[in-house]
Amino acid sequence: MLSSDILELVLERDGIDFTPGDCVAISHADGTSRPYSVSSSVDDETLHFVIRRMPGGIVSEWIAERKAGDEIEISPPFGWFRPSRSGKKDDPSVFVATGTGIAPFLSALRSHHEMAPKCCLYGVRKKSDAVEIDYLQKRCPIRLCVSGEASPPHHRGRVTDLLKEIPMSPETHYYLCGLDAMIDEVSTWLEQHGVHFTRVHREVFFNA
Amino acid sequence: MREKTEEKNWLLAPSGEPRGYIDSQALTELWFHTGTNCNLSCPFCLEGSKPGDDRIKFITGEDTKPFIHEALEMGVEKFSFTGGEPFVNPHFVEILGYGLEHRPCMVLTNGTEPLRNQFGEVAKLLKQPNPVSFRISLDHPDPELHDASRGKGNFSMALRTLGLLHAEGFHVSIARLMEPKEDVDAVDAGYAKYLSEAGLPSDITIIKFPDFQTPGSIPEVPQVTEHCMRTYTTEETRHAYMCNFSRMIVKKNGRCGVYACTLVDDDDDYDLADTLRESFEVRIRFKHHRCYSCFAFGSNCSEGT
Repeated sequence: MLSSDILELVLERDGIDFTPGDCVAISHADGTSRPYSVSSSVDDETLHFVIRRMPGGIVSEWIAERKAGDEIEISPPFGWFRPSRSGKKDDPSVFVATGTGIAPFLSALRSHHEMAPKCCLYGVRKKSDAVEIDYLQKRCPIRLCVSGEASPPHHRGRVTDLLKEIPMSPETHYYLCGLDAMIDEVSTWLEQHGVHFTRVHREVFFNA
Repeated sequence: MREKTEEKNWLLAPSGEPRGYIDSQALTELWFHTGTNCNLSCPFCLEGSKPGDDRIKFITGEDTKPFIHEALEMGVEKFSFTGGEPFVNPHFVEILGYGLEHRPCMVLTNGTEPLRNQFGEVAKLLKQPNPVSFRISLDHPDPELHDASRGKGNFSMALRTLGLLHAEGFHVSIARLMEPKEDVDAVDAGYAKYLSEAGLPSDITIIKFPDFQTPGSIPEVPQVTEHCMRTYTTEETRHAYMCNFSRMIVKKNGRCGVYACTLVDDDDDYDLADTLRESFEVRIRFKHHRCYSCFAFGSNCSEGT
């Protein structure tokens, strides 16, 4: 467990090829499946996932009960969210993530050492839910927003409180990953501030 | 014409009467199934599509080219694509681009993130020599009903994508669910205010589909026999059946098969052949429960080119 309700699942790579931003569907023994984003590098020998253990969640509860050596059925990787398509100095990007929505950004940064996002807004409920914060701080300017408790020096509140701090430019790509309410709010704000919708890339997570 | 199989269940209805059939005329539309992987998990999906599903595999550019070339030799007028969600397939924009080099194309999509995140690439397809049209699902004119199956905010996003595609210069249409005994005109009219909001034309084409049930379902439906076909259809109405003028390419277990239409890929009796020409030598029997939907409701996934 990474925190009281966030866990890291590590699977043998077994030759699986993927692109940062890809998900795999992990299947419960009864056939119910849920998609989870890969958080590891394309060069790692293992596949990593950051998973929130949802109370009553059929698949996440089941995953949390697995033990080292257990076999898990997963789908081939798939995805349409590509945070590593931009992010170099001449092709700027901004990341906005909430909760386990940080996973595809971790995969992109770990896979592409030259990536240098202009900013990353990262929202969590509790400070202990923030994953790999030290690594993220080394890779880009990061603003951690903690909504459920005071955690100085971090902002207490939601990522949407800090939208005015997002670097704005016509050539920047904005990558959003997390729950639908945050993504809709940030998308709307960006478009109202002149960002063309083709530069807003979305990956919606659902609590299930 | 030859039979796909001499098995009794293919040839005869449970009553013992010969099943109705279509002897296909000419290929005018070729469909490609892009794969059953989808970003959504709609409970009513006739393909049983959901995230990570691979009952039908992602088709690739190399898979599609031989069928595109053969179809062109046979005089095909149009290529159409369905899933799953086509834009989840990582090869799809390339596949569509190649199709558009040769013929007009149509894409059935849910109009959500997989398409939106690739909109810049999609917009470039306007430069291709043939037009592409997009049909987006808005199941009900009530956003809450639509979102109950597809996820919160989905109606709004799909509607917005329709408007963006239309504004960009693409032809667009809507697919919706059809309830038994509904007032068709009244339901269609329910979309008017949303069309206006999205800047869409008020006379946009709205295609209606009955509940086709999930893959592998065996609902009790009346059997379509040769007698039914002789009694209730004419040469003209028989020509309107999709299996008369189209085929769908489906990739399962590493092999592409030519299926009779877009609705029967869960029954391998409808995997007619390895090539389009061979598939036109096979008599298509009305064995599948969805054949009855076509017979009774005139269901047709096609749309004018």
